[in-house]
Amino acid sequence: MTADAASAAASAPAGAPGGPARGPRARTGASYLRYGAGKVGGAAVSLLAVLLTSFFLFRLIPGDPVKYMTGGRQVSAEQLAAYRREFGLDLPLWEQFTDYCRKALTGDLGTSYQFRAPVIDKITEALPNTLLLTGTAFVLYTALGILLGTRSAWRHGGLGDRLNTGLALTLYSIPSFWLGLLLIIVFSVGMGPVPGLFPTGGMESGGEEGFAYVVDVAHHLVLPVVTLVAVDYGQTLLVTRSALLDEMGSDYLTTARAKGLRDDLVRRRHAVPNALLPTVTLVFINLGRTVAGVILVETVFSWPGLGGLFYQALSVPDLPLVQGLFFVFAAAVIIMNTLADLIYPLLDPRVGR
Amino acid sequence: MNTQDQHGRARPGPRGRRSRTLRFGTAALMLWAGLATPLGPAPQRAEAAEDKQVLTVAVAQSVDSLSPFLASRLVSTSIHRLTYEYLTNYDPKDARPIPGFATKWSPSADKLTWTYTIRSDSTWSDGKKATAEDAAWTFNKIMTDEGAAPANGSYVTNFRKVTAPSPTKLVIELKKPQATMAALDVPIVPKHIWEKVGDFSEFNNDKTFPIVGNGPFVLTGYKPDSYVRLKPNKDFWRGAPKFDELVFRYYKDGDAAVAALQKGEVSFVQGLTPAQAAALEKQKNIKVNDAPGRRFYALATNPGARTKDGERFGDGHESLLDEKVRHALFMAVDRETIIDKVFQGHAVKGEGYIPPRFPQYFWKPSAGQELAHDPAKAAQLLDEAGYRKNGDGKRVGKDGKPINYRVLCHATDPNDKAVGQYLTEWWGELGIGVTLNCLDNVSDPWLAGTYDLAFDGWSVNPDPDFVLSIHTCAALPTTPDAIGATDNFICDKKYDDLYAQQLAEYDPARRAEIVKRMESRLYDTGYMNVMAYPNAVEAYRTDQIKSIETMPSDAGNIYGQDGYWSWWSAVPAAAEESSGGSGSTGVVVGVVAGVVVLAGAGVFLAMRRRSTADDRE
Amino acid sequence: MTTEATPPPDATPPTDATPPVAKDGGGGGAGAGPRALARQRRLRSVLRFWRQYRTHRAGLLGLAALVLFALTALTAPLTVGSDVAGVTGAPGRPLESPSGEFPLGTDRFGRDLLGLLVWGSRVSLLVGLLAAVLSVAIGALVGITAGHFRGAYATVMMRITDWFLVMPTLVLAIALATVMSRSLGTIVLAIGVTSWPTTARLVRAQTLAVESRPYIERAKALGGGHWHIMSRHVLPNVMPLVLAQTTLMISSSILAEATLAFLGLGDPTVVSWGGLLQEAREAGAVSSGAWWYLVPPGVAIAVVALAFTLCGRAVESVLNPRLGVAR
Repeated sequence: MTADAASAAASAPAGAPGGPARGPRARTGASYLRYGAGKVGGAAVSLLAVLLTSFFLFRLIPGDPVKYMTGGRQVSAEQLAAYRREFGLDLPLWEQFTDYCRKALTGDLGTSYQFRAPVIDKITEALPNTLLLTGTAFVLYTALGILLGTRSAWRHGGLGDRLNTGLALTLYSIPSFWLGLLLIIVFSVGMGPVPGLFPTGGMESGGEEGFAYVVDVAHHLVLPVVTLVAVDYGQTLLVTRSALLDEMGSDYLTTARAKGLRDDLVRRRHAVPNALLPTVTLVFINLGRTVAGVILVETVFSWPGLGGLFYQALSVPDLPLVQGLFFVFAAAVIIMNTLADLIYPLLDPRVGR
Repeated sequence: MNTQDQHGRARPGPRGRRSRTLRFGTAALMLWAGLATPLGPAPQRAEAAEDKQVLTVAVAQSVDSLSPFLASRLVSTSIHRLTYEYLTNYDPKDARPIPGFATKWSPSADKLTWTYTIRSDSTWSDGKKATAEDAAWTFNKIMTDEGAAPANGSYVTNFRKVTAPSPTKLVIELKKPQATMAALDVPIVPKHIWEKVGDFSEFNNDKTFPIVGNGPFVLTGYKPDSYVRLKPNKDFWRGAPKFDELVFRYYKDGDAAVAALQKGEVSFVQGLTPAQAAALEKQKNIKVNDAPGRRFYALATNPGARTKDGERFGDGHESLLDEKVRHALFMAVDRETIIDKVFQGHAVKGEGYIPPRFPQYFWKPSAGQELAHDPAKAAQLLDEAGYRKNGDGKRVGKDGKPINYRVLCHATDPNDKAVGQYLTEWWGELGIGVTLNCLDNVSDPWLAGTYDLAFDGWSVNPDPDFVLSIHTCAALPTTPDAIGATDNFICDKKYDDLYAQQLAEYDPARRAEIVKRMESRLYDTGYMNVMAYPNAVEAYRTDQIKSIETMPSDAGNIYGQDGYWSWWSAVPAAAEESSGGSGSTGVVVGVVAGVVVLAGAGVFLAMRRRSTADDRE
Repeated sequence: MTTEATPPPDATPPTDATPPVAKDGGGGGAGAGPRALARQRRLRSVLRFWRQYRTHRAGLLGLAALVLFALTALTAPLTVGSDVAGVTGAPGRPLESPSGEFPLGTDRFGRDLLGLLVWGSRVSLLVGLLAAVLSVAIGALVGITAGHFRGAYATVMMRITDWFLVMPTLVLAIALATVMSRSLGTIVLAIGVTSWPTTARLVRAQTLAVESRPYIERAKALGGGHWHIMSRHVLPNVMPLVLAQTTLMISSSILAEATLAFLGLGDPTVVSWGGLLQEAREAGAVSSGAWWYLVPPGVAIAVVALAFTLCGRAVESVLNPRLGVAR
């Protein structure tokens, strides 16, 4: 799925500047506000659409939640009906939906069938764990991607570039779960001369406090983060590289060089900042996608985050929890995209309506 | 040197870059600090002794609830066994009922009133005395509040009245005689805590720690899908457990758990695959415990789903109503191969309904009665039943269509899928098609009767009443939408008569005799093909656990016992052998940090050299 | 899109309009001339394409790998036969390590893993291919129609596309696979239905570019209907883009198939690479050191995905040198 994300991202910046015209800075505060309001409004519509989809899509999962809840006990049809009433499952679908939306607005996403706890509690319990994992990985792979992408573009065609892009493309083609398993075998179980340096899974050993706790969590974080970084830095690298290559033909760079500026300075002061603009979009899209795509890595490394919760909830099916999680995943992407849309014109004067 | 010169000129570059990297690093650290620190309201510990003996058990199943009124998963009920007392317990040697919260129990002459003597030396962990009043309150709550019934409601359906005439005396009056009154696996909770709970259906007992209980352990901390922590109850009447702490740690991945065991991160792992067991057997300091299991693993036939009133529903294949067909399917299954290839020897070949782990109830068919593996005979039986092969070699049903059975399997159980592949090929040779329908949650088609055969399995309790009851007509659902206690809609007059007899029989030996006759009857009907009794395959570190009680005492299992014996009895190995302390973690982290820094520096240098080399080009 | 920068190989237009006339039969003998011309022109552009493609070493490498895998998959019935997947006649003991008899060892049933790997390539490649074709077909359809019709229809379609674009693809695919029964069709559908929006956007941009050219005006003036414009003028021009997109999409579809199978959402009775990985994990291969069960399927997935990516990038850069990929 990652390749798809990359091409999406690669095309987005190309489409975003809206034509080659490098017009004057005609943008005013008011027009930006109008633009921003449009984007935010669009995001709100998207969020509502997500709510709609998650609600109706998951009703299709075979499995009667009430039968799960009663767990093999002998239950009469009347009692089942009573349960359905309790969870509002006896109402017409449409009413269930409006009810759901109304409650969702107040932050109430319903009660999980299997944990008998508010969905919002289960999500807030797991969300920081997922954010810790994805946030750390995100910062590292973005930094690595931009750094290596810049280098690659600057010396494009050279051996370094070929090795760099080759490695990025290879890692990018590797299934993340498989890489995770291999890392566990080599660096966690230990193989040959390599000792098992890292924990095999989980987020903490339990019982540590203060600084020791932070160190313990960091120790657990290493392998999952390495996995995520390895499979994800490639697309940042490739987009940065091609953006910079596009930029490098520009006249102003030749001018800068002609002025006698050192190559290195031309790159750092002029080319990179401009080329990074399209990367901004990608960076935000990535962050949203990473949150949603972390399911596999969380499964492989027993990380107590949203991904594991989602997988568990699907098998019941624990409808309120599934819906809640799906909403969170989609919202992460939508919000990040909107942020990218909002920030982009502030960075690039060429965009703005 | 030339490179030196280049390097010199490029100075400002790397410095700028380094500072940017530094800024990134700082940002990452701040992110961590922000996220990591508020996460753990680090569990309070009275003393942070470094040489604490911790027994860590790897688990995969999420806790469904810590409320004894709601919990039904094995991990949760095991924790309740450790933290609450039940009226009775089971002898680790032979699973005979022995005193628990009650010291004595006896029925009245009319078999309808049971009187329990409650022990006077049990106290709740908050210092209050545990009495018969707590037990009476617990049972009454389950009987009267539907919200408190989910987990243990089935135990009290036959209760008329429960009272506590004195702190040491509990009286239970029954509607009908019931032989299982020494096997009431209901955790007794402290009334003074639980009477404050409002809605039992929403109270999960996971907010305030330590949780007040009177079992051998006290629950001191819980973080979903991370850990469950327990401290020994020093005042436990049978004696305090030997370890300083018991931790259930989560490994959602079986391989990760095994790897953790190999490294000493955990002391105990269960649910090993044959390959894992084989690999662990070769390792130092690890003992693999391959014990006879308490489960049976069967293929259940849909005998035509119906309600108590005989209303038919579902769409099971009509040919399965024919006993000859069921016997033919039975005989086409090679149980030896399943044991040998799928379980790779970690199971016992299936015979009767109850596993040999319970010798008093174990039954096996006589030579004449046995439906042994015989594909030729199976084909002959099918021919006799009128299901002959057509031109394509497929057997044709009464409706003229080739027979194709839908076999319901659990997507989460690798054994189902593996055996399913064998079934496909074995029955394929008979001319019968098989569609494996593997689902995460099979309950829907199962309850609706929309399957032909299904993989089935139950853990058998020391008292077999429950697993026997699920095949009686009384367990059928009242209407097609209702849920019965029935396993797979079996309803057989002969079997039912025997069931009623054994339930009213208070003499253990005579009762066991009747139970065996029930098993014989069930076997003959061909509804339940018990293919195997899977072993409990577990492993523990001998450098962390010196000894541990299995159940049954010789060659028994450790995880999921009928009692708290294993964790209560576990003796820690000599202190200096214990591994995985926080000290070593620090060292490891130091080493790792060093390696990372070195690697980073290496990459950086390599890149410098490469870029300068490119410059020269 | 930027593809306008270089005229796509098929861009010399009006002749394209003639073939339907020929088909009508009205053109008779006169139709043969333009048709032959068109064929020649196509041939030339293919040759030109190939000459440029040849200069991309990575692309050639990817192509070679693909040809190898395709041959392996196609000849599998001859080389290993469907018997390798049978459990009752498994030749070895469960989880034997590699030996002369079993170069890649055996799986948990004692089947030959090399044979399974070869046999599994059929399903993995097929699913990858079908899912990609489905995805690109949906994307192309939406893209072309949205680019052609404009107006409210286009707005709605692009809104839907944008919305699908922000959907977490994997999460949606898992959800779809859970909702439907476990089969290959489900997997193809789950991947195809969730991954089309990128293609739709690219194709729409290209369509808009094509339709702004004067010859489309001319075709319209000559009475060319919507269908005629879309199928005769737009489609041939977006085709190269669609092909490049398909190649890239196959790579991600194969990864997605492996992912879904690994999560246990595949058909357990069918041998695929992702399914093999899941079986390996279920059998405990990671902790018992049975690397031969785990490494080859993963390597196969990675190599095929990489090969498709390399090819796709090479095709893309031939069609659109400005992107400067792999140069």
